[in-house]
Amino acid sequence: MSERTRNIASVAVIAVMSVALLLLTSTQPATSDRVQQIGTRIKCPVCQGESIANSPSQMAEDMMDLVSERVSSGVPDQQIIDELLGSYTGAVLLDPPASGNTLVLWVAPVVALAVGIAMILWWRRHPGPSADDATAPGKSRTRLVIGGVALVLAFAGIVAVAANSLQDRPAAAAGAADIDEQDLSEVSNETMEAVIAANVEDPQINGMRLALAERYFDSGDYRSAFPHYLVVAEDPNATGAEAITALVRLGWMAYDGNGEVETATRLIDEALAIDPGSAVARYVRARVLWCGAGETDQAIETFEELLTDPELATETRTQIEADLEIANDGGGECP
Amino acid sequence: MTGRILRWAGLAVVGVTVVLAVVLASRFGSDPGLVDSPLIGKPAPEFTLAGLDGSEGASLSDLRGDIVVVNFFASWCLECRDEHDDLVAASESFGDQDVTFLQVAYQEAAAESLSYLAEAGASSTTRYLADPGSRTAIAYGVFGIPETFFIDPEGTVVGKIIGEADALILGATIDSIRNGEQPGQQITGDTQQRPDA
Amino acid sequence: MLAFLGSAGVIAALIGSILLVVRGIRGARGGQSDLRAPGKLVLAGAVISMVAMQIALLNDDFSLAYVANHHSSATPFPFDVATAWAALEGSIILWGLVLAVFTWVVVRQASDRLGSAAVAVMAGVGVFFFGLMITVANPFEVCVDALATGCAASTAWPFTAADVPVNGPGPNPLLQNHFLMAVHPPVLYIGYVGLTVPFAYAIGALALGVPGPEWLRRSHRSTLVAWSFLTLGITLGGWWAYEVLSWGGYWAWDPVENASLMPWLAATAFIHSGLVQQRRGMLQAWNFVLVISAFALTILGTFLTRSGTINSVHSFTQSAIGPALLGFLVLVLVGSFTLFAMRSHLVASSPRIETFVSREGTFLVNNLLLTVYAFVVLIGTTYPLLLEAFTGTQVGVGEPFFNRLAVPLSFMLLLTMGFGPVTPWRGAPTGLLWRRLRWPTIVALASGLVVALTVTRVAWVILAIVLGVFVAAAIGGLLLEFAGARKAKSGLSLYQEARTVIGNDQSFWAGQLSHIGVVLVAIGIAFAANLPLHTEVELAPGESVEFAGYTLTYDAPFRRDEPNRVVQGVRVEVSRDDRIITVLEPSANFYDTEMGGIITPAVMSRPSGDLYLTLRNLDSETVQLGLDTSPMIWLLWLGGVTTAAGGFWSLAARRRDRVVEEPLVLADV
Repeated sequence: MSERTRNIASVAVIAVMSVALLLLTSTQPATSDRVQQIGTRIKCPVCQGESIANSPSQMAEDMMDLVSERVSSGVPDQQIIDELLGSYTGAVLLDPPASGNTLVLWVAPVVALAVGIAMILWWRRHPGPSADDATAPGKSRTRLVIGGVALVLAFAGIVAVAANSLQDRPAAAAGAADIDEQDLSEVSNETMEAVIAANVEDPQINGMRLALAERYFDSGDYRSAFPHYLVVAEDPNATGAEAITALVRLGWMAYDGNGEVETATRLIDEALAIDPGSAVARYVRARVLWCGAGETDQAIETFEELLTDPELATETRTQIEADLEIANDGGGECP
Repeated sequence: MTGRILRWAGLAVVGVTVVLAVVLASRFGSDPGLVDSPLIGKPAPEFTLAGLDGSEGASLSDLRGDIVVVNFFASWCLECRDEHDDLVAASESFGDQDVTFLQVAYQEAAAESLSYLAEAGASSTTRYLADPGSRTAIAYGVFGIPETFFIDPEGTVVGKIIGEADALILGATIDSIRNGEQPGQQITGDTQQRPDA
Repeated sequence: MLAFLGSAGVIAALIGSILLVVRGIRGARGGQSDLRAPGKLVLAGAVISMVAMQIALLNDDFSLAYVANHHSSATPFPFDVATAWAALEGSIILWGLVLAVFTWVVVRQASDRLGSAAVAVMAGVGVFFFGLMITVANPFEVCVDALATGCAASTAWPFTAADVPVNGPGPNPLLQNHFLMAVHPPVLYIGYVGLTVPFAYAIGALALGVPGPEWLRRSHRSTLVAWSFLTLGITLGGWWAYEVLSWGGYWAWDPVENASLMPWLAATAFIHSGLVQQRRGMLQAWNFVLVISAFALTILGTFLTRSGTINSVHSFTQSAIGPALLGFLVLVLVGSFTLFAMRSHLVASSPRIETFVSREGTFLVNNLLLTVYAFVVLIGTTYPLLLEAFTGTQVGVGEPFFNRLAVPLSFMLLLTMGFGPVTPWRGAPTGLLWRRLRWPTIVALASGLVVALTVTRVAWVILAIVLGVFVAAAIGGLLLEFAGARKAKSGLSLYQEARTVIGNDQSFWAGQLSHIGVVLVAIGIAFAANLPLHTEVELAPGESVEFAGYTLTYDAPFRRDEPNRVVQGVRVEVSRDDRIITVLEPSANFYDTEMGGIITPAVMSRPSGDLYLTLRNLDSETVQLGLDTSPMIWLLWLGGVTTAAGGFWSLAARRRDRVVEEPLVLADV
């Protein structure tokens, strides 16, 4: 057999076998499992990089069940995926679409290949000078200095940015927000109730408890304010100032709400036992006695004494001055 | 000729490196596991779930008009245990104020959730629901628990807390929803995934 | 005590490295300086630090915070030893040790300016890693605030612990669930770190302005060592994932896996293009680019997997290791490419390529494909990160994306592998390729037909078979051709002549062995990925199910208490034709620290493939099992090991090849 015949025979054999293979493989019925296929395109949200088809986790299994249910009820693939993305964002899609902001992913490799081919073709036409032409580096010292400076600058920039972002790291794992640092003015009563109920054990909660009680007190809701003042008044961990405020308020409410002058003075005296100099306690006590027991003179005396204190808060001072005027004026019927 | 091209190519790599490095450096602060929920501002996925104890449970559409707080929890989740008392407190504080608290058991047998609740103390104003097949968790895009969603009276998801919530955050979030604001997503700490098996 | 010893070792290695940098630079400028003494100091320091860590682990010395947080007294051998590289700080000790060994290798070769410059670069990298070990990733910090198990706070100074925990939580259960985890990291690290050597020589050559092939010759052995270990490491990693991660997969295009694949692709390209420069003086500039990229990719991989920018591993996110690695990566890239730009007038020299139908032509195609491949992996791994940083949008990129691009690239590479070895340097005479490839083509197509008619008609499998057999047959045919030509002259047996042919150019034939390995991998992947069976079953004790030709019978549940874990699972009898073949025990392993168990699959290997059983759920009445087959999966492991073996065999050949004056040049045949 001549070389030529052998060549022709080879080509024929190769051609026939290629066609046969193409026919065999192309007539293979597509046995694609749609559920499995969709599964490989969705990242399991509780795993690291595994698809829901591959992950053994419960969540992945549940999601596969959902996918398979949707597939059997005739929902198209893309819609099933879109539904999942609707609740999980594109971050769980392992198969970025060749559009929008993931188009780059598909285009870049093709561009890289094209650039590579272009580079090779270009290089074939324009090879560099032969190795012998290369001489020792010229101006190397200047270049070295410029390079070095650029390097240091770049490095410094990175370090600066990195260090900066390290400092700015949000305290993500700090847990619950700090009660003390929260501006309470915008917080609703219910919220404060909830916070207090959830932090009964925390001695620092008295501050918020009082703030809430003051709110109820100011709005005249003695019924809601009462239990909070009571807790603070009975709390051995409460600070002196907190206990005084609570006792004084309880005292005023006992008088104002129920007309119980005796209970009121007893409570306020408890406050005065903590701090005999407490201006608020002395003022409220004088006022209760004035209004409840008609002891006008004693009230006037106390008011005048209090007003001599230069550190008296302006608001209290105005209040006392007004009261004093009424008390001094015409028989002293309390307002 | 070739030399000059190579020089510029080398310097281009340097430039690109610096730019990319600065961008990457800016990422150090954030946790890559945390994903912004696409649900915020969207209608809340509807669900009708039975109670853990087999009771009637709840259907979201019946709660239109209320602020609905949906919390996903499980007994195996440590952060959930930590936030439990705060959820109970918030639920009881807001309970009679057109605010409904729903706690949905996440990937756990009802018996286990129930015995956990018996031990930790359930709230009388909260409805504890079972989520067979994690359908509701998937619909809400739960990554790890605890996650807490806030749905306004019109049925729009307006807030989400990832991680342990406390009474103050829960309350403040509800307050701002009442004021017509959209609190959005807040991250308070780590979440947990179900340990296998 | 051990904290002191270990820290002393690290500091000694650091001082040695600094000395080496200084003396290396002096040597590179033509001065005389002793490199061996500081080289020994680096080596001794690195060994001491590793020994100190091992002593601490073996003696359960929980005063070291690292031991307290990653070891437990119940951790059995060999996992206690392997705990040294189970977490970040410890793995850097291993990294440092491997680097010290490679540095010593370079020091021993350093008799001239190029060698000294390479030593300086190696030691510069050493300064960074040993510097990490005394700053942001100190493995020898002592515990100052003990927890019930583990340590909450630690300090580097002083060396005595203020508060010693009684026990630790032990290493990550996933890592102590399989012995491969003990060997996989060291193997992979030898691969990663080994790539520092060609990088060091390349930078040395650039700095000195000697871009000729000398640096390639000097670093060739180290490159081969690194490449072979990297190959082995990737294979072991896939095997570990298969045996432990319980989904029957071996490769998920996970960032951790990609981090090892990218340097491998670059190094593979470099091994080929380096050959072109050594033979033909071409691709000088390109080789620099490849070597710098390969090294930078190892650092990038470490950054991506260790800094927490991709994986949400909080301990790493919070540490300063991320910024440090990123800074170092930038330093490497900016420094190297600035130097490259400064020397561009020197590296640009290269002769013209005569024709693309030549060995160097096929190598160009191979380099193009491998580079694009590496680029695909790089962009797929980093794009989500970059897009989010720029726009705040989150996207996921995973298996489907990579497969769509990598599969065609892999097949193109296979095709190139068939052409490369049979194409002579400088150009092939007319008709040579046809003569050499005619039979391989026919054999390949025939094999494809046989498989299509008997086993499967899935196109990818057939394509893998055809291309794989084509490559193998081309290599075999070439060997027969050479041996046959010699036999005609000498009259010796074909086998004897084949041995002579191989012996005369062993590194070439070793390369072909690696090619055969890649072919096996390709066929293994094609089968395992396209023809697996999968089903989920629920069985009560005594119940049976038919699966993949086997009868699986649920015998009974079992529970086994081991020192460090409780193994809970089920016994399943596997039988065929009423004959019990084996009993499999898919289980969940409960370690003290984890609330849930680690699902551990049970695997039965057969020549046709594996039967893979995974426990899904177990209650008092029934068990739910995942049943999988992995057809021909063993080809994958065999192929990976064969590929690595080719690299090692080539190493063995190197020394002998030098003796042979005129190695067989294929173009002459």
